Amino acid sequence: MGRMCAADSANALIEALALSFTRQDEQVFGPLDFALHAGDIALIEGDNGSGKTTLMRILTGMLHTDEGELRFDGQPYTRDATAGHVVFLGHHLGLKSDLSARENLRFAQGLYGARPGSDIVTALAAVGLAGYEDEPVRRLSAGQKKRAALARLLILPARVWLLDEPYANLDREGIALVNTLLASHAARGGAALVTSHGAVAFAGDEPRRIRIHP
Amino acid sequence: MTPGSTCAACVALFRRDLLLAWRRRGDIAMPVLYAVIVTTLFPFALGPDAALLSRIAGGVVLVTVLLAMLLSLDSLFRSDVEDGSLEQWMLAPQSLPLLLGAKLLAHWITSAVPLIVIAPVLASMLRFPTAAMPVLVAALLLATPLLSLLGGVLVALTAGSRRSGMLLALMLLPLCVPVVIFAAGAVAAAQDGLPFAAPIAWLGAALALALVLGPLACAAALRIAMDA
Repeated sequence: MGRMCAADSANALIEALALSFTRQDEQVFGPLDFALHAGDIALIEGDNGSGKTTLMRILTGMLHTDEGELRFDGQPYTRDATAGHVVFLGHHLGLKSDLSARENLRFAQGLYGARPGSDIVTALAAVGLAGYEDEPVRRLSAGQKKRAALARLLILPARVWLLDEPYANLDREGIALVNTLLASHAARGGAALVTSHGAVAFAGDEPRRIRIHP
Repeated sequence: MTPGSTCAACVALFRRDLLLAWRRRGDIAMPVLYAVIVTTLFPFALGPDAALLSRIAGGVVLVTVLLAMLLSLDSLFRSDVEDGSLEQWMLAPQSLPLLLGAKLLAHWITSAVPLIVIAPVLASMLRFPTAAMPVLVAALLLATPLLSLLGGVLVALTAGSRRSGMLLALMLLPLCVPVVIFAAGAVAAAQDGLPFAAPIAWLGAALALALVLGPLACAAALRIAMDA
């Protein structure tokens, strides 16, 4: 977790060089340099409106920028290169409120495939939603919805997690849960980029911080 | 069928949309109700002249059904945009055109099929000749998926923007016109005892083209709409 610069960029999962984004002649963020290796957890810090979500949308591949360079596992950052390796959790959680948590997760597995050895019921229990499997998501609290969305991370095979404000709406226990999930993901050789506008107490290791300046 | 294969993903999206529609049955009933109300009002406005009603019945039912479909078209991607599901299934390692094909099929089943089912009832209410009824149903079976596919492309283009309803209606109008002309042409020909195969074949040809190109265009449009 200690690599600080892009110098040793061999096999970096995500590598950004002078990445920036301009919307209507106004620079949203950047230029930004960072490299994310397997086993890295990086925290992207920035104030409200500093472009954290925009950066996340670029990293998902939804939004394109021609300024700077972006590579995925040494390849140019295209949909084909990232497909299936990246999972995104944004402000909008991507849960259908009329479906239960179990149905939502089953749909996610249908789209992305299942992580070997993962199980929906176990994943929901791991995020503290045991007993709520068949409750429509609409009836869950904001924090419980977030937990249901976090359970999605556990059942999908993706190596890179892009988490936009995962700590929002969560109680202290929930924040600890996110940190546990991140730590075990890193231990498994995964990598994660996490945004936050506030101070976050990470359990154990101090994460690498990437500061966005507007 | 392993989870994560393209086939499984399309089935998952298809099943999810049908399940969501079933959980919100009231939304399916709305276009049907609209079609019933509009066709019921025609005899009141025009008078109970059997000859007149039977002459306009085919056209009235066609236009009403197509308009009722437009009611639900606008919301094709709306809830998925609002709750972030769209991003989730757009990022999936799957062919987006095929996923969209599955989604449009689910949308057609939930929005158009109920209308096609009641169309013969509505048509008989206006004294539409029973002999021509199969042609009316056939025209609807070809025209409604065509409209779903054409509309899907336009809805995808405006998916990111709010209040796109007006824009959508304006863009869809020129695409609706040929669909209505051929469908109504077939129905009118059948009613007059003339050969109706040509307009039906035209609709079928257009549908075959739209089936292939529609999902591709829809996927491209959606990527453009989200890249902003």
